[in-house]
Amino acid sequence: MLRIDGLNAWYGEAQVLRDVALEVASGEVVTLCGRNGAGKTTLLRSVMGLHTQQRGAISLRGTDLTKKPAHSRARLGLGWVQDDRGSYATLTVTENLTLPPRVGPRSWSLDRIYEMFPNLYERRSSPATKLSGGEQQMLALARVLRMGAELLLCDEPTEGLSPLLVQRVGEILRLVKADGGTVLLVEQNLHFATTVADRHHLLAEGRVVESLDNTEVRNRERELLAYLGI
Amino acid sequence: MKRFATALGAVALLVTACGGGPQSGGDSKLTGGKIVLGVLNDQSAGYSALSGKNSVEAVKMAIEDFKAKYGDKAVTSDIEVVDADHQNKPDVANTKAAEFYDRDGVDAILDVPTSSAALKVADVAKAKKKLYFNITAATTDLTGKSCNKYTFHYAYDTYMLANGTGKNATENGAKNWYIVYPNYAFGQDMERSFKAAVEKAGGHVVGEDAAPFPSDNFSTYLLKAPTLNPKPDVIGTMQAGSDLVNLVKQYNEFKLRDKGVGLSVGLMFLTDIHSLTPAALAGTTYTDAWYWNFDAKNREWADKFKARTGSRPTFAHAANYSAATQYLEAVQAAGTDDADKVVAQLEGKKVDDFFLRNGEIRKADHRVLHDAYLAQVKQPDEVKEDWDYVKILKTIPAAEAFRAPSPDCQL
Amino acid sequence: MTNFLEQTFNGLVSGSFLALLALGLAVIFGLLRVVNFAHGAIYMLGAFGAYVLADELGLSFWAALIAVPLGLAVVGVVLERAFIHRLTRLDPLYNFLLTFGLTLILQDLVKARYGVQSSPYAVPSALSGSVDLGLFEFPAYRVFVLAMSVAICVGVWALLTRTRIGMVVRAATERPELTRAFGIDVGRWITPVFGFGVALAGLAGVLAAPMRAVHPLMGADLIIVVFAVVVIGGLGSIFGSVAVGFVIGVLQVWAEAYAPESWRALIAQTLPFLLMAVVLLWRPAGLFGREETA
Repeated sequence: MLRIDGLNAWYGEAQVLRDVALEVASGEVVTLCGRNGAGKTTLLRSVMGLHTQQRGAISLRGTDLTKKPAHSRARLGLGWVQDDRGSYATLTVTENLTLPPRVGPRSWSLDRIYEMFPNLYERRSSPATKLSGGEQQMLALARVLRMGAELLLCDEPTEGLSPLLVQRVGEILRLVKADGGTVLLVEQNLHFATTVADRHHLLAEGRVVESLDNTEVRNRERELLAYLGI
Repeated sequence: MKRFATALGAVALLVTACGGGPQSGGDSKLTGGKIVLGVLNDQSAGYSALSGKNSVEAVKMAIEDFKAKYGDKAVTSDIEVVDADHQNKPDVANTKAAEFYDRDGVDAILDVPTSSAALKVADVAKAKKKLYFNITAATTDLTGKSCNKYTFHYAYDTYMLANGTGKNATENGAKNWYIVYPNYAFGQDMERSFKAAVEKAGGHVVGEDAAPFPSDNFSTYLLKAPTLNPKPDVIGTMQAGSDLVNLVKQYNEFKLRDKGVGLSVGLMFLTDIHSLTPAALAGTTYTDAWYWNFDAKNREWADKFKARTGSRPTFAHAANYSAATQYLEAVQAAGTDDADKVVAQLEGKKVDDFFLRNGEIRKADHRVLHDAYLAQVKQPDEVKEDWDYVKILKTIPAAEAFRAPSPDCQL
Repeated sequence: MTNFLEQTFNGLVSGSFLALLALGLAVIFGLLRVVNFAHGAIYMLGAFGAYVLADELGLSFWAALIAVPLGLAVVGVVLERAFIHRLTRLDPLYNFLLTFGLTLILQDLVKARYGVQSSPYAVPSALSGSVDLGLFEFPAYRVFVLAMSVAICVGVWALLTRTRIGMVVRAATERPELTRAFGIDVGRWITPVFGFGVALAGLAGVLAAPMRAVHPLMGADLIIVVFAVVVIGGLGSIFGSVAVGFVIGVLQVWAEAYAPESWRALIAQTLPFLLMAVVLLWRPAGLFGREETA
């Protein structure tokens, strides 16, 4: 589904991604982990087309994305879940949900979303930033479900959430997967990652240094946690 | 290469700046071998239409006429004009005036609208001991506490305006006045002069308001006017330039004339009437220092002016011409541009040119006296020619038009 | 009391101009992050446009009310495509300087063509009378100006809050990058929104022509007050800009009419800037603005 090859990216003079190559197959959930500054978010932003200081090949279902602006990539099926949850203060909850166009056949109806997220239904006419942090995270996920994006790019969706809400995020991601969706996930919570993902890539200093499956992660959890500095 | 070019440029500039120096020498009685007149006025904002660039043109006309008159006998044929925009700002006027005298070798500065700027230039003229003919500023302080040996006040002042308009209108039945004036030196000066003139003529000031300057909204005062007790017969506006245009437009909008509140304008220039159209001002009386279509003599000069500028002259344009001419005549008579000798020529001189009717350069305070005029804006159907918007109701003789020398002035 | 209400109503009329100009400025700033210094010059062009159409083509005020904003919208689109667009990636200061330069050029072009004296323009005859507002009579033209201004502000508000276009513009204003990631071509909206903001300034200029001096510098002093209005309301806050525009109009009139006598002019003149200073110290984002979400 997603294929990245020879991706290099810079912030000014500093190179933050070096020859990154990875693939995500259709229906897969893949995580990126690594220390702060390893280049995880930059990788995600490069795929979305939000980071422009980059070179390399990125393609989605065989379509070359490199020349396409962010809004065209979204219409090709990329769903963006920003690390700060990306709620619009000037838009109501419903407007937050209906702002992006519906881009795929898996697009959820508003009714289905409100059935799944009754909290959002209750607050549907309030400005989105009036919601709690957890509710805003649900809104961010609900938004890409409504879009019907084929490949979700989720940047640390569990950050700062209570254990109960982390579980909820896990449920949603598993639901996406069960539905045939694909997810590229930046995640620091290794335990959580193993409950939703198929494979894991470890990033360090802008390179993919290791690729692991769930068993390997569980076996080396202590070592990996120490490495990640958690 | 670039550095070389810069150096060359700098040298060129230096040479230009000192230009005339080396060749002048000889036995010329003129500093720098030539006469330089400096016109300092508003060339960009609210007062640039009534004087501005066209005053520079008027001064050039004066120089040409002077050269034509004297030919080979002229004290010099090398007469220049420099000009600058003081933006009506006292600090800019101050700097430019000093630059004129020191750097450009200016012998006399002309014009300088806006009273606060005009007073600054008077200080510079005094310090540098160089001549200064103020034309477009109104403050009587130029011949009062700020007077000095090198400063002459040429065309008009607040006393002339108030005494002409305020006195006349009060005597003709406008007993109760509401005075609106711009909140700066000129406006405050006008307000005092008008109030004095109105009260002296038996009138009564029932209200007065200082308005922000500049302003495009005078409706507050226009709404207030009819509610004053007793109701004013007339609003006396001391606004000038585009402020005046704003006020008159809004006066008409509120239909105050229909509500029995007339309009009297403290200071008005021909260009203001042109902007507002005579219809907007029909019947308004004001005091004019000079009018282009008063008689054949004025009209002759106004025709020349129109040929060069495309419009008819305001009194400021005519006065700039007259002042430049009188200065050059004085240099011619003195045979030198030495400031003290030129002042001696000018002081007490009786003059009669097309601007200065029955003119006299008063020795006591350097007030230039001349006839003034009570003018009235014509009804639209009376206007037969573009720019001929005014009829002269009466001539105010030079002896009555201006105040007696002030004891505040010690030359 | 009647006089107080009359003065207040009158303050709303002068606030109409501030509100219309601030609205355009806020809409432009919101989406482009450009402080359009040329807004005052555009207002002036609006008034001159009305004058020129009347003087040279004999067109009425009503025709000018439609034609001038449309024409200036085209001018705005050209300016945005030709100049402003090129500088949006750089520090906002560049566009501030650019539009300041444009202001000087536009003012000088008008000066060169129409001179420095004010150009005549009359109140349209249909509105030259007075309207009885119950408690007092008021010049019909002024009532019309206020009604137009309120209608346009409400219309823009409805457009922004009740339509999909408005939702997109709001989203793009608040979080341009995120909005692109949601499949919306934000760049497509920039040029029309700039043209729209410019058209609003032009409309304010046409409305000003019958009651204010039509002069090359008529926008130069006004725009400084409008900047204060926009800063007080909160940069980019549409509601804040409009509301503060009307409020400042009323406060200035109150100061002129009721402040202690010797302070009236000074207070009226400095009030917008005093308020701006206080607001900046107390709430740097403005009364209705939000802290930037970078």
